[in-house]
Formats: sequence, structure tokens, C-alpha cells
Amino acid sequence: MIRKLWFKIQLYRREIFLGLFLIPALIPMVVFQLYPALKAVWFSMTNIAIMGPHAVDWSFIGLKNFGYLPRDPYFPHSAKLTGYYCAASLVLRFILGFIAALFVTSSRSKWRIGLTLLFLIPYIIPGSIKPVLYLSLMDVHSGLYNRVLRALHLPPQSWTYERLTESLISLNVWAGYAFAMIILISALLSIPKEYYEIADIYGASRWTKFFRITLPLIKFPIILCLIMIFKEDIDDFTYAYVLGGGGGGDQPINFKTDILAVYAYYKAFQYGELGIGCAIGLIVGIIVFILTLAQLRMGGV
Amino acid sequence: MLKKIGEPSFKFIKYITLLWFIIYIISPLPWLFTNAFAVRGASYVKIPEEITLDNFYRIFRAMSPRSEVGLMHGERVHKWIMNSLILALVAMGVVLLLGSPAGYALSRLRFRGKDLLMTAILLIGFMPMTAKMLPLYKICLDMGIVNNLVGTGIVIGSGALPFQIWLLKAFFDYIPDELEEQAELFGCNRLETLFRVVLPSSGVGLMASAFLTFLSGWGNFTTSLILLRSERVYTLPLGIVSVATEIYGGGESSINIDLAYLSALGIVFIIPPLLVYLLFRRALIGIKLGRIAMRY
Repeated sequence: MIRKLWFKIQLYRREIFLGLFLIPALIPMVVFQLYPALKAVWFSMTNIAIMGPHAVDWSFIGLKNFGYLPRDPYFPHSAKLTGYYCAASLVLRFILGFIAALFVTSSRSKWRIGLTLLFLIPYIIPGSIKPVLYLSLMDVHSGLYNRVLRALHLPPQSWTYERLTESLISLNVWAGYAFAMIILISALLSIPKEYYEIADIYGASRWTKFFRITLPLIKFPIILCLIMIFKEDIDDFTYAYVLGGGGGGDQPINFKTDILAVYAYYKAFQYGELGIGCAIGLIVGIIVFILTLAQLRMGGV
Repeated sequence: MLKKIGEPSFKFIKYITLLWFIIYIISPLPWLFTNAFAVRGASYVKIPEEITLDNFYRIFRAMSPRSEVGLMHGERVHKWIMNSLILALVAMGVVLLLGSPAGYALSRLRFRGKDLLMTAILLIGFMPMTAKMLPLYKICLDMGIVNNLVGTGIVIGSGALPFQIWLLKAFFDYIPDELEEQAELFGCNRLETLFRVVLPSSGVGLMASAFLTFLSGWGNFTTSLILLRSERVYTLPLGIVSVATEIYGGGESSINIDLAYLSALGIVFIIPPLLVYLLFRRALIGIKLGRIAMRY
């Protein structure tokens, strides 16, 4: 028996040795990525807190956290805000990304790499500096937005206060349209040129080619792209957190940028209610998880 | 190409739209540069009358911003840059040391359920940040790695691992098996084959993976915010945000913050990503497209 096992080990020595290579990488991934996500499910059913008596002495309370959320003073507002933010960002990011992708793919190859580089700049800059950059556009007196509005004879808006949500959306669109562009470029480049040549022979117009050839052929990348943009937006944190004022201890929360991720953070770190924060996070997490499964399913991985 | 009569010329409209698009993309950027070289910052684009490197000088001599509010970050700015570097290097080390053997194993092994394992790794990479960030804090608090730069670097590295493993696997797939068979003929054992034959010959892939991870550590905000709670261990993103949020949080008090200094700090912050991007543009665009293609 043992001899047989030993023989087997000798036979598969290479495979076993290579398999051992996998384990060191799997350990941190499981401990720091998978385990916290599973722990969120457990925490969301407890009254655990970050400070106070419940920090050490917490107990299982079932689904009470989820029952509490609709009665929470700001959760419904936050959920609505997230819906608005995600819907507006989804549409604008996709449209701008599509336009950019069409520009890149239709330009001559000499220009193509330069144009891609330029269009990718907002995507390359680290996230936490972007809200600072947007300060110059949002300035009430001489920011670019209000200058444009004045030039068009429209009333200037208070972008840093009244219209902060819209500022947040415009920041997110500027920062994230390149993501849609990347996906759509690779989709557009994968369409065989011959289709357009044949369409030209039959004298098809620009619009016919676009609606009858381009769109149907990249239907699946478009759906995939929409799913991924939505996932990224609903899971977004940095821009809303920074624009909302960062919440350094004594600062009031600006409810104009409190999308769910930020609200969950404040629930945990400002009110100390880690359990409720985890419940909010879990709601977002489940939405993202379902979309991820749909995405993997579509991708056929 | 046939041109139909009556079809309008799109050339003109196309270039006008393109021009608008380019203006839209670069519109937030000039402010950073006009401010960083100005004596006094402004919250809008203003061409400075006098160009000065004073702001950078102040950053690297660890002097505080010219601020009238009680903002004395000066002596810590040095540390922010160092902390960011440590964080990014640790994350890079984690991916190179743990990720490359894993990618190699996944590229060479054939076993049932391999696709399942790959999908599971990808799924771990797609774990939503919102759901995992709060328990992550609690877990790290219990493990004692809150306010620990190396620990945070490992966490960030573990977040980058799934995609980097996929990326590295794709690179190792390009290296022919014959190379390793040759190495074994010359008497290398498995580890020697990996570290002396396979890894050197996949240099481009490793370098790309290393730089991408370095950048994800350098620019990381959310994980650092959760795990680095004390100002002593702030990284550059956290530091910049802690200066900047006093602008937003304070409403109209933005006149009091030294925006010139903040912009100079911002330039120091975005230089490494832009540099890496410009140096490796072709490879990175390819990878970015490839990475997305792999996710299909």
C-alpha cells in the first residue's frame, strides 16, 4: 500500500511539485480577499461595532440589520442617490467611450497609438488626485464649468455645493470613460474589414453600415461593457469619498455624495456600527456578485 | 470607396468633435501645472506671472505649506512619499514572489478542474470592495496589521494577485516547453529551471506585471484608507486627500489652503504612473487590451 503510494508520488513528482507553487499565492488571496467577503455575510447578521461595548461583546441578531435599513434616516436617500449616480454614469461613460473608440479605430494607424495614449490619460492618473483636479473646473467664480455656462448665457451653478452630485458624475465620467473605450476598441478591431468592403460595393450608407454591421457584431462586448461599468460604479468609493469632504471626525457628512459604499464606510467608522455597515456593503456585494457571474457566463470563461 | 451623392461630408464634423473631445479630456490638467509653478495657488486656471520651483523645493526640503489654517503637514510629506514607495514595493514583491510561480504552475499543469480553479481565482479578483472593506479592517485589526505598511502592502498585493496570475500565465504559455527540457538535460532541478531559465526568458511579462502592481500600490486609495488609520503611516494618496478634503470640507475656506503646494505634490504623485506609461506604452496598451480580452 505504502509502496504503491510512494510509486504514485514518484510518478507525479513534477505535477505535485508544480502544485506546491500554487499554494503560497492562494493563501494571501484567500485570507485577504475571499475570507473578508465571506465574513461580511456573517458580520451583517450581528450587532458588532468598532467601538463601544459591542466591539467585544457582540452577538448574532439574524436579519435585523436588513430590517432596520429601510427605517434608517439616510439609507433610502443613499440608495436613491446611488441609483441616480450609476444610471447617469453608465449612460455617459458608455456613450463617450463608444465615441472615443470609434475615433481611435477609424483614424489612420499613424495616429492611432497617439490618440489612444491621449484618451487613456484620465485612466492612468491615480484616482485620488482626480477630485483635486476637478476643483479647478468646479470653482464658483472662475471655474471652467461656470465660464462655459456664462458664455452660453445660462445661469452659473454652485458645483461644489448645490450640484455636487452632478459634479461627482461628471468626474466619474471623465475618469472612467476610457474603460469602456478599451473594451470597445478591441471589439471594433475584431470585426473583419471585408464586411465593410462588401457593404461599400453594394453602396450602403454610413449609417446602414453602422447599424447593420458594426452594432450587431459587437452586441456582446457592448453588454459586457455595460455590466462592467455598472459594477465599477456601484462599487465606487474614492471619488465620492473625497468630493464629499473626507469625513475627518468632526466634519458633517455631505449627503450629496453619499453613495452606498461611502455610507457603509461612515456607518462603520463614524457611527461605529460595523454590523449595519457590513449589511449595506453586502447588498452592494450581492448585486456585484450576480453581475460578475453573468459576465463570466457571457464571456464563457 | 464609392461616395453617394447627397451624403454629407463627415470630415469636418468629425474633426470638430475630435477637437472638443481632446479639449474635454485635458481640461482638468492645466490647473495642476499652472498652480505647481506659481507662487500663490488659485482654485482656477491662472497663468502665473512668475514661474518658480519653490513648491517642489519645499516638498523635498520637508517644509510645511504656506497656510493660514492650522495645517502643519510639512515634516510628514517626506514620509508620505517614502511610505508610498514601501507600500508599492511590497505589493510588487508579493506579486513577483508568489504570483509568478503560481502563474507558471497554472501554465504547465494539466489537471481536471483547472478551468474551475482559474475561474475561482478570477472570481476572487472580482470580489466587490464595498462588501469586503469593513470586515477586512476587523480581520487586520485582529491580526495586528492595521497601521502597518508592510501588512497593508501584502493586502494590496493579494488584491492584485488574481489578475496578475492570469496575466503571467498567459506570458508563460508563450515560453516553449523545450526550453525547460533542455534545462533539465543540463541538470537543473525544478526550482533552478524556474528561476534561472523560465523567469529570465519571460522578462517582458514579469516587468509589465511588476510595474502594473507597483502602480496599483502607488495609487491605491481605498485599502490604504481602511488599513492606515494613523497619520504617521499615511501614503501620498492619503496625504493629498487629507490636505484636499480640508478644501472641500471647509466649503469657502479654500482660499486659505496652499493650493500651489498641493498641486506640486500632485505632480510628484502622477509622475511615476505617467512615466511608466510613456516608457512601456506599446506593451501596456497591448496588455490592457489583452487583459480585457482574457476576461471575456
